[in-house]
Amino acid sequence: MFESKSRIPPAISLVASALGLSFATSSTLDYAAHLDRGLHDLHCSFVPGAGPTEAAEACRTAMYSPYAAFFRDKYWGGIPISLFALGSFTFFAGFALYLLLAGARAPRRAVGFFTVVAITPLLASAVMGTISAVELGSFCKTCVGIYISSFLLALGALLGALGLRRADGDERPRGSWLVPAAFLPALGAVSLVPAAVYASSMPDHRPYLDKCGTLKKEAEAGDALAKITGKRPVKKATFFEDPLCPTCRAFHQRLRAEGVLDRLDVQLALFPLDSECNWMLSSAMHPGACTVSKAVICGKDRTQQLLEWAYDEQEALAKAGKLGTPTLRAVIEKRWGADLVTCIDSTETKQTLNKHLHFAAENAIAVSTPQVFLGKQRVCDEDTDMGLRFTLRHLSPELLP
Amino acid sequence: MSATARVVAPLAGGLVTLLALGALSVSVSAGVKSAGQRLAAPQAEKPKVAVADHAEVPYCTPRFKQVLERVLHSCGLSGGDNRRGCKPADVKTFASISDADFNELFTPLKERGGVVLFDTAKDELDAEAKKLLADRWADRKGARYFFVVARASKTGSPEKNRALSHRRANSIMYYLKELSKDPELEKKVGLLWLGNEFAQLSKEYCTWPNSRTGKKCDDESINRSAFVSWVDCRL
Repeated sequence: MFESKSRIPPAISLVASALGLSFATSSTLDYAAHLDRGLHDLHCSFVPGAGPTEAAEACRTAMYSPYAAFFRDKYWGGIPISLFALGSFTFFAGFALYLLLAGARAPRRAVGFFTVVAITPLLASAVMGTISAVELGSFCKTCVGIYISSFLLALGALLGALGLRRADGDERPRGSWLVPAAFLPALGAVSLVPAAVYASSMPDHRPYLDKCGTLKKEAEAGDALAKITGKRPVKKATFFEDPLCPTCRAFHQRLRAEGVLDRLDVQLALFPLDSECNWMLSSAMHPGACTVSKAVICGKDRTQQLLEWAYDEQEALAKAGKLGTPTLRAVIEKRWGADLVTCIDSTETKQTLNKHLHFAAENAIAVSTPQVFLGKQRVCDEDTDMGLRFTLRHLSPELLP
Repeated sequence: MSATARVVAPLAGGLVTLLALGALSVSVSAGVKSAGQRLAAPQAEKPKVAVADHAEVPYCTPRFKQVLERVLHSCGLSGGDNRRGCKPADVKTFASISDADFNELFTPLKERGGVVLFDTAKDELDAEAKKLLADRWADRKGARYFFVVARASKTGSPEKNRALSHRRANSIMYYLKELSKDPELEKKVGLLWLGNEFAQLSKEYCTWPNSRTGKKCDDESINRSAFVSWVDCRL
């Protein structure tokens, strides 16, 4: 009876490790697939092994965030954190199998060691979960799968430790001090192997960074563009952005998180993907984006404040935009007052926004946002997310703290 | 302690760890290398993305564009030529088009543009003319060029009318400079002055939006004018 009970905790840990492995593998292979600089569907599901899907916004947000990988300035996209999960879950799976087979005869020090180290994925999950909630504002299903696996792993380990207390006086050997001394480095090594394999197999992205064209016309003749000047600007940049575009918001947040925005002197050309003012679209991709763009223009010396407010309130503004201009104007007026709405309605503002759009036309930019230029050099779309830090390191190292 | 606990269990655990680690490493390496191969030799072309450009609307027929392009080029509106506008004879030559056909080309611009009317033998813009110009100028949308086609009525000699229509076109240009403060105005505004020799307007054009709505308009007064409009064509 005691023998079979003592196998339950390691069995839980073994199942948890297998689950964790499955989620970490999906996440790692998704990450690796993007090393071809293409856009791919993601495995974003609570079901381990579920197929890739297009609707995976939260997983994409997590993948593109600065928290998804280490050494992102050394390797394009960095070394994904899921690789370390992959290695450690492999170790835990093997160790749980050992404890399962050994049952009540597993040395006490082996069980103790497992209990201590098996809690570390849960601690890492707690940190990553907090980042997801506070910084990213969304939870990726695959990541949640890893958090749950980590919890189950820790649960199995703790139950095993509790079993030790109940089993006082049984014949379980104490085991040698060499157990933790030998297995701790093994855990470290196994955790690092997948990352080392990944890093050694990576293609060289440097030749692709400056192959996406240049800005034809560096300035708008009438000085109509908006300005965002960082605290310590060291580089001029030109951004074409739509305040209701989620990708622009994510890009802006990445720049801020990297500390890059403070080092940029940005001229901002608003490029709303809204056919109300943008003749390059036959229908509105982001209804209301023209009105919100005008609000940003009207911000004048508060451009950054207005833009960041629009990004922070993007869902609410997009919803209001779909309900119609009066609703949207009411939302803007509530936050910024009647004067700003008067400015939005002025012919001068309409003409200024029109100049922003003509600046985009004269530069023949892609009708997609954001479009980013460092100096004259266009930053490729695929380098504005996963590869951002690597790209900055090579194109404009002075921008990185 | 049984042999299972002492030997088999750690061996099995270690073996499983190593096998799993090996399999995962192979899988990770294959995934990364496969991406590297796709990067070096893309199999599928990247989906084409639309490129930002000026507007192009249905009235920009090949015929219309051909005439506008010739006019643009020959009147110094494109390229580095310093000439502003061109003589009536030039228009006729370069446009290779009859008077009626020339006017017909501008028919789709009836609502987009407007007719600025002048007093007899005058080139000054009145308040209504300035308002019409400001309205039309502000409604640029995606247009690349703003056309000004100035005329004069039949009264007087062709030479005098040529000069008069030239002054009318220039009046508009000066006002647009003042209005827009646009340093690149010269690259946007195309001036034509036709005097009274080419493409005179008939009384029917009095129904077009103009700066003197409700006032007397006839075959003479409609030609004391300048037609202005943004042109939504890529030239």
